[in-house]
Amino acid sequence: MKQLYKSLRLLTLTLTLFMTYSVFGQEVTVTGVVSFAGDGSALPGVNVIVKGTTNGTVTDFDGKYSINVAPGDETLTFSFIGFTKQEIAINGQTEIDVTMTEDATALDEVVLVGYGTQIKREVTGSVQTIDAEELADIPVSQVTQKLQGRLAGVQINQTTGKPGQGMSVRIRGQLSVSGGSDPLYVVDGFPISGGINNLNPDEIEDITILKDAASTSLYGSRAANGVVLITTKKGTPGQTNVSFNTSVGMQSVPERGRIEMMNSVEFAQFKKEYYEDQGDPVPEIFQNPSQYEGQTNDWYGALLRTAPLQNYNLTITSNTEKLRSAVVAGFFKQDGVVLNSDYERFSLRANLDYDISDRVHIGFNVAPSYIIDNVPRTDGTRGEGILFNALHTWPIMPIYNADGTRTTFNRLPADTGNIFSYANWLTSAEQITNETKDINLLTNAFLEYEPIEGLTIKTTLNAELYNRRYEFFSPTTATYRINNPIPTNSEAIWEDRNDFSWLNENTVNYNKSFGEHNFSLLGGFTFQKFRRDFSRVQAQNFADDRLPVIQGAADINRGGNQTFDEIQEWSLVSFLSRLTYNYKGKYLLTAAVRSDGSSRFGSENRWGTFPSVSAGWIASDEDFMQNQETFSLVKLRASYGVTGNNNIGNYTQYALINNTVNAVFGNDLAPGSAVNSLSNTNLGWETTKQFDAGLDVSLLNDRLSLVYDYYTKNTTNLLYNVQVAQESGFNEFSDNIGEIKFWGHEFALNTINTTGKFRWTTSANISFNRNVVKSLADGIDRVYGNSGWHITKVGEPFGQFYGHLSDGVYLNQEDLDTSPQVPGRSTVGSIKLVDVNGDGVITRGGDDDDRAITGNPFPDFTYGITNTIKYGNWDFSVVGTGSQGNQLLVRHLFSTTNLDGVFNLLKDVENRFRSVENPGDGFYGTTVGGGNVTGIERDWINDRFVADASYFNIRNITLGFTLGGVERYFKSARLYASIQNVYIFTKYWGGPNPEISVQNNGQGDGGNLESGVDISGYPVPRIVSVGLNLNF
Amino acid sequence: MKNRILILAVLVLALTGCEDELTIFPEDSLSTPTFFKTEEDFTQAINAAYVPLRVINNDSKAYLAEMHSDNTYFARNTAFGATEQQEDIADHAIPSDGGITANVHVERVYVQYYQIIARTNQILTTIDDAEFDEAAKANIKGQALFLRAYSYFDLVQFFETIPLHLTPVLGREDAALPLSSAEEIYAQILSDAQAAIPLLPPKSVQEPGRVTSGAAQTLLANVHIVREQWAEAETLLRAVVASNEYALMPDYADAFSGNSDNKNNMESVFEVQYKEGPEGLNGSFLYNFIPRPITAEEVGALTGTSNPQPVNGEGNNIPTPDIIEAYEDGDLREDASIQYITISESFWEDGVYPIIKKYVEPHSLHNNHGINWPVYRYAEVLLLLAEALEEQGNSGDALPFLEQVRTRAGLGAPTGDLGEAIFRERQVELAFENKRWFDLVRTGRAVDVITAHGARIKANPLEYYYPAGVEPRSNAFNNISERYALPASESSLNPNF
Repeated sequence: MKQLYKSLRLLTLTLTLFMTYSVFGQEVTVTGVVSFAGDGSALPGVNVIVKGTTNGTVTDFDGKYSINVAPGDETLTFSFIGFTKQEIAINGQTEIDVTMTEDATALDEVVLVGYGTQIKREVTGSVQTIDAEELADIPVSQVTQKLQGRLAGVQINQTTGKPGQGMSVRIRGQLSVSGGSDPLYVVDGFPISGGINNLNPDEIEDITILKDAASTSLYGSRAANGVVLITTKKGTPGQTNVSFNTSVGMQSVPERGRIEMMNSVEFAQFKKEYYEDQGDPVPEIFQNPSQYEGQTNDWYGALLRTAPLQNYNLTITSNTEKLRSAVVAGFFKQDGVVLNSDYERFSLRANLDYDISDRVHIGFNVAPSYIIDNVPRTDGTRGEGILFNALHTWPIMPIYNADGTRTTFNRLPADTGNIFSYANWLTSAEQITNETKDINLLTNAFLEYEPIEGLTIKTTLNAELYNRRYEFFSPTTATYRINNPIPTNSEAIWEDRNDFSWLNENTVNYNKSFGEHNFSLLGGFTFQKFRRDFSRVQAQNFADDRLPVIQGAADINRGGNQTFDEIQEWSLVSFLSRLTYNYKGKYLLTAAVRSDGSSRFGSENRWGTFPSVSAGWIASDEDFMQNQETFSLVKLRASYGVTGNNNIGNYTQYALINNTVNAVFGNDLAPGSAVNSLSNTNLGWETTKQFDAGLDVSLLNDRLSLVYDYYTKNTTNLLYNVQVAQESGFNEFSDNIGEIKFWGHEFALNTINTTGKFRWTTSANISFNRNVVKSLADGIDRVYGNSGWHITKVGEPFGQFYGHLSDGVYLNQEDLDTSPQVPGRSTVGSIKLVDVNGDGVITRGGDDDDRAITGNPFPDFTYGITNTIKYGNWDFSVVGTGSQGNQLLVRHLFSTTNLDGVFNLLKDVENRFRSVENPGDGFYGTTVGGGNVTGIERDWINDRFVADASYFNIRNITLGFTLGGVERYFKSARLYASIQNVYIFTKYWGGPNPEISVQNNGQGDGGNLESGVDISGYPVPRIVSVGLNLNF
Repeated sequence: MKNRILILAVLVLALTGCEDELTIFPEDSLSTPTFFKTEEDFTQAINAAYVPLRVINNDSKAYLAEMHSDNTYFARNTAFGATEQQEDIADHAIPSDGGITANVHVERVYVQYYQIIARTNQILTTIDDAEFDEAAKANIKGQALFLRAYSYFDLVQFFETIPLHLTPVLGREDAALPLSSAEEIYAQILSDAQAAIPLLPPKSVQEPGRVTSGAAQTLLANVHIVREQWAEAETLLRAVVASNEYALMPDYADAFSGNSDNKNNMESVFEVQYKEGPEGLNGSFLYNFIPRPITAEEVGALTGTSNPQPVNGEGNNIPTPDIIEAYEDGDLREDASIQYITISESFWEDGVYPIIKKYVEPHSLHNNHGINWPVYRYAEVLLLLAEALEEQGNSGDALPFLEQVRTRAGLGAPTGDLGEAIFRERQVELAFENKRWFDLVRTGRAVDVITAHGARIKANPLEYYYPAGVEPRSNAFNNISERYALPASESSLNPNF
């Protein structure tokens, strides 16, 4: 019976098609205008189709359409996403004007899910989609910057202001000890091997975030950190459209939040008092601090500048009968707010879709880009980063000589306590080359065949080519280091990286309905391979500073693994399958599974299986909900699934031989080799099991819609280099250990506050993410961060700040005598620490000393709010983002509160303890006693280093105006002005940006074990820009 | 049905193909299954086993074995704070709760010696299964046994009880072993050193810089001396003397390696090899032994480099007035061992400090020199032999060996008790060669000598390089012990500590 039904449908379709063509000669033309019911404005892009045929068109920019209809045709349908579909009988009319009304439920709106699309209403996982158009006006280079504050459950931090760099994206607080925490980025179906910071945001159509296991499990062993699906622009049905978008802006670092350091007079006064307090003669240069009046050298400020930014994009989309194309050409140039930093991106994308026949479609995407980026060695701790160095350089050291030329080098005699000498940091910024050049080519090709109705066979071939050239050159006249007199040794680093990754995916999709039972079945096989060839050369002592070429170097630096070749390869073979079922469109069920075999997994543990199941119930479709008008949608969702994180290194399972452990005999090098790691044939992925429960509610005619999700997940088998006793000859064993539990709540609220001519919408989200460490390796209940500033301890959240608790200073002898002390070191006026373990003395070292948890780098909650107002030709939007309850560790205090007077100091240190009679504000301790005394305050990290980093940032304000009366020249024209990082409300005092910190991507650095450290990196600028959108 | 078979066949093919595609060995480095097969593999492996000696002797051992004695001290620089690690060692004030300490030098020496032990264990476990030239194999095995014995010998003298690893560690389970008693450790050292002697070629045959049969005999004799097994030591040391492989350099100053010349000379029994240059094979210990803050010019005058730089921090291993006093009048070794330099920015007195001269050799680039570190010299062989004979009551035979050493130093016959004379001779002949602390401990004098040494420093800090008005720390010399506490970093990983 069903077979018959299907045959009939096929027959009908064929006949319809036949008739459409056969009556071609007798058709008439229907024209009209489609407008928006709200304000009567024209609606471009509305699909106009003769019902029951494939004959269709799209309204132009003025809402006008023109379509040929045959005599047999009865009805025109008008549809547009977000509006109620309308069907109008033709009845011989040749002019049909239509007004469309909004349909916020968007019943048929389709969203991207892994390996396919789904009707939004029927999605049972936790998925959020952003239309890139909403982000278009934000004047930044990276799409992740634009997404800040838009997504519930996704924390996006800008960890450094370096142009084109530094975005950290964490979905649902996911983290790993050492396995990497970045989500998987999938561009047009291709899981790319790196991030998306080099992708031109103007190429993007929309972005979909997959959060729960049910949505991500089809990405298997790469899905645990969440998945970001990116769809690039496609030619949409409609006429050719050419648009040109440009913006230009100026960037600067706001005064608010700059660190308040001593000026020259204050510093000299401090030094004078320092020597007086020691009972030593005051060096001549400090005897009269007022001589420095008006002569403060603000080294940090001098490195900053106001810098321009510009962005140009040309987009051409076209649609002919069989070919749809989109071409985006872009140029972005950002000079940085630190001297000599800049970023340029040239990008092109061509996306083509071609219908070979009704049943066969092919498509090609080609997207090359070229990026040049030069940023001096700005970020890094003391002696590593120019900004940090500049921050604590003595303000009495001159930037310029009396004749206006720059000083080259500043060092004062040893009796001034000037242990560290400083180069001129302006020269360092200008003369040191630190440049990367990236060439990136992303390509996709697909072939889709639909042999019978409902059955789609698709095969894709994707390739990613990435080439990075890195050049560092520090001439004899400049250095980023401290204590490195000029002239110094010139040095260079060259790195070449070539990545090639390809992916073949083969999927079969079958959709079928039996009465009210609707099925969709997906099966697939995929194969991906990656190879990186990397080489690095470090050389020193060049014959000529003007020729930083390898043949000019006297020495190639082979020691310490500074010159080497590296090859990284991995392969991934996968089988995947998904069943989607619904009954009556309101009882929804999805089950999915992926099986991944990976070269990264140990030979005894090669395959991982990642299943998930989810269900949904659209309660508002039940009969009992039909007689009310308050709720237009009530949907309940729940899902459970298993995903993995395979960022465990390509060769971690093997015991590798280091073949550069070279010996010397006589005067000759003798090559040496030693086993430098332990093998683990059972090494595997990190496993995350996640449960999600969600509620989608729309009410008051969809004026208000709310999405709520609760999730809980457990990550186990964390990749960790478990420390082993070094008596073994090794210091670690790579193993899968431990368990972290995560849970959280996410709310996303969208409201349409007013409609009509003054249209005001608000979207807001707030996320609460929590984690707790449930277990680590056997016999290990804690792991300290490498720097000793953090602890990850069973029963506590991950990566907490760890140190002593301070309690002012010992105010007098009695206070000292009656309080616990650091034996042999505490004196009257020195810092008083809390005796946490109650043993009567203050000790540091070992698990049972006097340190405690001093702060938490994770926020209590993060939130974002976007308000958009459209009034006539005007549009206005404000985006705010915030974070509450997190702390940062202020790294520069090691230097800027160093009481030995070695560096410039925070202005507050003026009020330190000087004597029992003059105890200052009882916070900073005495300078007397040298490192034995002051070292406790400086080196025994304590809670003073931890600062509240809660903030609310007015991230962006944009005001736009659509020009009237330009129809003769353009389809449309819009002018706008935009300010990025308008103002930050925060109590954070450790630096200008409370979201800045060491980037903790878990690979190659301290990772999540050491997150939330502000190393005074490149400041994030405020950007004021104006832009223009033209459509031709 | 046919289709099903076809699909099944495709799947099977796909899956078997997969396993091949899923096995990727690193192309940029070798891994254990393919290594330890050929002579070249084992040569590279034994070479790597020597490498930790560079770190041990460059970075830390001088503090533990020399500055922990009365021979040297640090030069306090009041403009610099964080130097407790070295000061604690010199001051016998190492915090050591419950037999463990966080001192970095203690940890470094411990960890680096176990690196040697792990590398030699790997060689000794696998070399018998490899097939290559037997002579080459014996040589490599002999070197491995020597290096393992020498490592355990230093460890047992520093720590007394330590874990005894004799096979390669494979995973977490066998990484940490119980502490073995000194008796068990010494039994293994004796067995390894004994086994090494016949496997190793003599110095005239061996590649210069590698350990030799003579070095193994000297090591074994040294172990017997520490164990007070005088007759066994005598036999071995006589064999070294009789081998005719060694002789004293005519001039004491020439006994020590130059920056690139005079290495492994005829007096050298074993020395740690360094090479100057950018390959990372160099030493920099000379710089650790300079008082500070010192200007670039002053550094340049001492080192002769083309790019001298100022050095701050604290200078260590500065000869004490006691060692200077220990040289007899007319001892040529004093001027060859100690020189005086002026540090203009010093906070101490007039800034004229004694420094160790044995390791002052001109070199090219700042902080990068190729001077070898002496481990055993023929002069010590003679002194050990004299001691072994004297302890057996054979003073007559002992005296000529002692005199051989004294004659070169421009000195006549010793006076007083011969045993005491040999002990004093060792202090000056082997000054700054990391012998003094071990000698104090093995002769049972450590606590007395250091207590007196500490009292002198506290009574007169100005003599011991403290600037006027600066006192030794309150905890100085409050923790005098013959053994070092075990490293704290290991205590949390080895439950047996």
